[in-house]
Amino acid sequence: MRNEKLKYRNVGMRRGTVHSTFLHLSLTLLITHFSFLICNAQKVITRSTMVGFGSTNILDTYLSAEHFKGSGMSFVTTIERQRPDRHWSTIMEHEANLSTTKDRSKTQQELEGAYNFYWGKLYSWQLFSNCLKLQAGGLVNASLGFIYNTSNGNNPAQARAHLNVMPTGAATYQFNLWRKQFTARYELSLPLCGIMFSPNYGQSYYEIFSLGNYDHNVVPTTFISAPEWRQMLTLDVRLWKSGTLRLGYLGNMQQAKVNNLRQHVYTHRLLIGFTKQFSIIPRTL
Amino acid sequence: MKKILSYLLLAFLISHSSFLISCVDEVEHDDTPTGNFEALWEIIDEHYCFFDYKQHEYGLDWNEVYNKYKVRVNDNMGDTQLFEVLKDMLSELRDGHVNLYTSYDMGRYWTWHEAYPQNFSDTLERHYLGTDYKISGGMRYRILDDNIGYIRYETFLTPVSESGLDDAFSYMALCRGLIIDIRNNGGGNLTTAEMLAGRFVQEKTLVSYLQHKTGKGHNDFSSLEARYLEPSSNLRWHKPVCVLINRSVFSAANDFTVIMHALPNVKLVGDHTGGGSGLPMSNSLPNGWSVRFSACPMYDRNKQHTEFGIDPDIAVDLTDEATAQGIDLIIEKARQLLRN
Repeated sequence: MRNEKLKYRNVGMRRGTVHSTFLHLSLTLLITHFSFLICNAQKVITRSTMVGFGSTNILDTYLSAEHFKGSGMSFVTTIERQRPDRHWSTIMEHEANLSTTKDRSKTQQELEGAYNFYWGKLYSWQLFSNCLKLQAGGLVNASLGFIYNTSNGNNPAQARAHLNVMPTGAATYQFNLWRKQFTARYELSLPLCGIMFSPNYGQSYYEIFSLGNYDHNVVPTTFISAPEWRQMLTLDVRLWKSGTLRLGYLGNMQQAKVNNLRQHVYTHRLLIGFTKQFSIIPRTL
Repeated sequence: MKKILSYLLLAFLISHSSFLISCVDEVEHDDTPTGNFEALWEIIDEHYCFFDYKQHEYGLDWNEVYNKYKVRVNDNMGDTQLFEVLKDMLSELRDGHVNLYTSYDMGRYWTWHEAYPQNFSDTLERHYLGTDYKISGGMRYRILDDNIGYIRYETFLTPVSESGLDDAFSYMALCRGLIIDIRNNGGGNLTTAEMLAGRFVQEKTLVSYLQHKTGKGHNDFSSLEARYLEPSSNLRWHKPVCVLINRSVFSAANDFTVIMHALPNVKLVGDHTGGGSGLPMSNSLPNGWSVRFSACPMYDRNKQHTEFGIDPDIAVDLTDEATAQGIDLIIEKARQLLRN
């Protein structure tokens, strides 16, 4: 009987310990959550949505030895999050484009489409009384796309996929003109290394996807084998309180020289869109 | 932190400078008769897959071909003349998969069937199929008087569904044997040929080998990859089969013949096939003409080329006398084999 009481007491003690641990955990969670909210209190988000039109130049020796030139359109969204008291900002960009191109004889046609996602961190320096902001860091670029040649038989299309690490630099300059606030920004990303999908020189997609015969189809790339160049120049004009007009240029030059195949897709786009800047203000406790 | 940034900056500068010196590009030939000639010769030189084999077979030398035809090209010639020269140059490859496409004509080499008896008659086809045959996808079929199933598949460009094959094999399940007539089948989808052949294998079977080019050199090839055929999980045919072939059996139909030839209860009856064992790819010239060529060689299960076709097990030719009497000697030979 005494033993049983002891056992119950032990169980009660164990329950008490569990309750106290739970209380501690809850308190820790609340404190962490509270501090997180305080940290986020000043987070500033700059979001831009743009549409662009311009020229496209395609070369893919798997499909044709000829260059294909034409026009296309792009949709670009950039989101930058930064706390004023921190130097690091997070940047996220979505870029989707579609192009239609022809060879110089105007008889052959290639269609191109791609989606590029960029995510990365940039370190900032504020100079000249905060008028100039310099940023440097790196982006990870994931890309999926295709080039479709409307004339080819067994090799009508080329699938494009790559994952790149891209050192990135940006300069943002704020100034006033005609009583309006302007922000000029230039961003340049170049590749360091990555991986990409490519068929081998004369390999058919039948071998890859129907038979499962892989031959160097996932290729490590560097800035030498896949030299890319992506630059965006924008000018923001604040027209009203909550909205800003953005005009710009986006040049994306994606290139690769793997498996004895050569490929480049150059897109030049004139951009127009809107920029919105807002802060996350958490509810006070 | 400063160290990391310095490294980033360094990498940035290195890649920046590398870009300036390494644009990935390709030098284009001029859009002149000479430029188009050079472009075509180079495309074939760098991508065609049977140079070695054909040099061994009939002494093809692509550099000699260049010298032979280069003198026939000048920048004052018209499109029609240029087309003739380029077409003749490509004919040196003796390959039915090599074509030059313009808006007004298609350059071709069809000697592999045009120089031989056809061994097929539309009239006889109508006579044997009658009018009450069944159709499923690209397949027409019926049961002949002596209880032998007859399938006519004239192009693998038209697919057939798995359920269509199930229906056909169910319909002919009580037949004593099966004839698959692919005479005049110029090819189409390899997957259609594989799907049909999968109804005749009872276990995973090595049927052929495949490789592809890995570079511009005439001998830059990947290793040979074995190609296996998996048995269909649907209805399968276990009784004897005769596959009827002629000189116009080409490409995917030639591949079907190669696969069926590897199976134990299958006999090939008729004439030598046309061949065409290179998987074709396409490219284009500065003037917009398209060129098609063999890019990936396929071999039979003994690693032998079948580019120039394969022999039947039992060679039979149609005769004028028998044809006049409404008798297809190739079908009749197959029926005889299946009856015994």
